[in-house]
Amino acid sequence: MAAAAYLEMRGVAMRFGDGAQAVSALDSIDLSIAEHEFVTIVGPSGCGKSTLLYLVGGFLRPTAGGVYLRGRGIDKPGPDRGIVFQRYSLFPWLTVRKNIGYGLEEKGVARVERDRIVGEYVRLVHLEGFEDRYPRELSGGMQQRVALAQTLACQPDILLMDEPFGALDAQTRRILQDEVRRIWRRDTKTVLFVTHDVEEAVALGTRIVVMSARPGRIKEVVTRGFDVADGEEFEANPAFAALKLHIWRSVKEEVKAARG
Amino acid sequence: MKMLPLALLVGAWQAAASAGLLPASVLPSFWEVAASLGGMLRSGEILPHTAASFGRAGAGFALGVAGGVVLGLLMARVRAVERAIEPILLLIYPVPKPALIPLFMVWLGIGDFSKIAVIALACLVPVVIAAYNGARSVDDMLIWSARARGTAQGRLLWRVVLPSALPQIAAGVRTAIAVAIIVLVSSEFISAETGLGYLIFSYGGVGADDAMLAVVIYLAVLGYALDRAYLAGLRRLMSWHAFAH
Amino acid sequence: MRLLIRLGPVALIVLAWELVARVGWVNPNVFPPVTDIVARWLTVFLDGRIYAPLWETLWRALAGLAAAIAVGVPLGLLMGRTRWAEWFFAPLFSFGFPLPKIALIPLYVHWFGLFSLSKVMLIFTDCLFPIVLFTYHGARGLSPVYLWSAQSRGTGRLRMFWRVVLPLSLASIYDGIQVAVVVAVLVAVVSEMVSGGGGLGELMIRAYRFGDVRTAFAALVTISLIGYFLYRIAQWLRGILLHWHVTEA
Ligand SMILES: Nc1ncnc2c1ncn2[C@@H]1O[C@H](COP(=O)(O)OP(=O)(O)OP(=O)(O)O)[C@@H](O)[C@H]1O
Ligand SMILES: [Mg+2]
Repeated sequence: MAAAAYLEMRGVAMRFGDGAQAVSALDSIDLSIAEHEFVTIVGPSGCGKSTLLYLVGGFLRPTAGGVYLRGRGIDKPGPDRGIVFQRYSLFPWLTVRKNIGYGLEEKGVARVERDRIVGEYVRLVHLEGFEDRYPRELSGGMQQRVALAQTLACQPDILLMDEPFGALDAQTRRILQDEVRRIWRRDTKTVLFVTHDVEEAVALGTRIVVMSARPGRIKEVVTRGFDVADGEEFEANPAFAALKLHIWRSVKEEVKAARG
Repeated sequence: MKMLPLALLVGAWQAAASAGLLPASVLPSFWEVAASLGGMLRSGEILPHTAASFGRAGAGFALGVAGGVVLGLLMARVRAVERAIEPILLLIYPVPKPALIPLFMVWLGIGDFSKIAVIALACLVPVVIAAYNGARSVDDMLIWSARARGTAQGRLLWRVVLPSALPQIAAGVRTAIAVAIIVLVSSEFISAETGLGYLIFSYGGVGADDAMLAVVIYLAVLGYALDRAYLAGLRRLMSWHAFAH
Repeated sequence: MRLLIRLGPVALIVLAWELVARVGWVNPNVFPPVTDIVARWLTVFLDGRIYAPLWETLWRALAGLAAAIAVGVPLGLLMGRTRWAEWFFAPLFSFGFPLPKIALIPLYVHWFGLFSLSKVMLIFTDCLFPIVLFTYHGARGLSPVYLWSAQSRGTGRLRMFWRVVLPLSLASIYDGIQVAVVVAVLVAVVSEMVSGGGGLGELMIRAYRFGDVRTAFAALVTISLIGYFLYRIAQWLRGILLHWHVTEA
């Protein structure tokens, strides 16, 4: 028997509701991900990208098939899999500091140590001076940066990111993309990153998964044959441009099919 | 500045009385009422009544709010509790709670127990509903987020559900404060030998209008102060939440 | 069947209550069996004893409520759209809203007597607060776009109230009326319990004084039904009056 993949989805299907109103969100998904891969997922809106992440997160259980981590079925959420949600999901009653330190507090990390780690992540997402603000006092982009820090501070092995930068301006987005790539390299994490931005998918993913219109299936998986360095002006790289065009056409077909 | 209209109203009252437009048999002048209140405060005779009322309302309120929060949260999170409590709640919801006073007097006597019990029940209802609705509308993302950051299932109620439901619970508790005072006064009107309601009722009965109005105003000021203090406390405690006011 | 399951817990309580009272663990004159209460309730309805007090309470509540609507809605609209009215009335009404108006029962008895007038006046006073405040907030929060649009089509200042401000505030006014319905029944019953003068409240207190718990219960059930049905009627009317309004809830 071949060695079990690090993270594996086997014949996963997901249906919501039952009877005539049932929605089939995902169908026959097979995907294996090795440790320390950076996998990006693109596909038309409503094709089940968020659902796929929720399954790995253990928030939902598939209606068929299974999701395995190191060969063991995932059946509940845990701090080994950190998630940044598509919508803002900070705890509105906690300050930035407490939000970022939330997972550490749950783990029982002592106050002093916690504050030190939180300070590190506050610097990482450039939110110095906002530690004692509440989420409602921050802009959307700042909130999303806090969510990123909150997730990273738990030191998860796997990072699940659901269009984390969808609401950000272009510059902030580029900075945070570099940040995520750096963290991935430095901490050797495994990343599953959903986006609807093809350029982002190619800039970040070592493998790019294109999903079909609903019910979401895996349409193709492309391995990026080249590296993208931090801060690189990849627009000038012809291999990058060619891959982006290929993925873009593939997604466009599906968007058309979805509009059908 | 905001109190200026109130001051104007009081001024008009006093002016009408001084000008003889308002016979004392209809309404004593503001000064008479104020003097009467001053006298009661100075002699201290109003204090034991204040304490008696506060004791009853406070005990009932505390029981009702504590029970209401626990029940409401449990209803929202535990299906069996919801099934069991919801129909009972629907049944007692339309009952005007002061109308329970006579029955509770039969069961628990005419003393403090029956009053406290009715006040507790009356405070419980808005708080249960607020806690239940608040806890049910907790964003799934927040629950998931907490789970993914290591919060165990059993701690969710305390770590996520309660804080997110807090704004709604706070509104329910504010209703409960007003309700507690209404039921308190009703019950003290119906049967009591102490308390501010009793005092109003007995002064009214002997035609001492200035003293009666003095206690009414005293009660109004206390009630207003309680409401303000509560709101101020909330603002401090829940600065994370943007209040409409 | 679904209803039966939903009502299961209530049925259990009723059953337990009935058993406890029947077996004689409690004094049935203090804690009468449910069937006794239902029987008494039917009796007072069938022999007509309940009609006079029922009617008394009902019309007092409705009269006070109607007067509060007649006065409160125009006043609230005025406050919402006129500076000086807002300046003067808004603080008074928000100050008075949380205060227990039933503390005025002895004063109203002194002014208006023991009977219907004092009760209707008190119900009117108490209901005025929610109606004015809800109307005011509704009228004040209107999007000015509607007003501008009507203005540019030649609607005059006075007609504006009737043609634009009122319909747009209706949802909020209705919220106020629904609060007031509950208040009206409560104040009617409390004032009858405290100062007599007929009605279900007095019936209850009298039954209590004579140790007639069954009749007190029958009165309580009737009061609750009045409250419930008035509330449901108000809800039903809302659907008819506000069918064009998109409700969030
Ligand atoms: N809880 C739910 N109940 C019913 N249907 C659901 C539920 N969650 C998702 N769906 C449906 O499943 C499908 C996939 O949803 P999902 O949110 O995973 O899409 P997505 O690819 O993330 O879309 P987007 O790019 O817009 O975020 C959609 O058609 C959606 O309507
Ligand atoms: Mg999504």
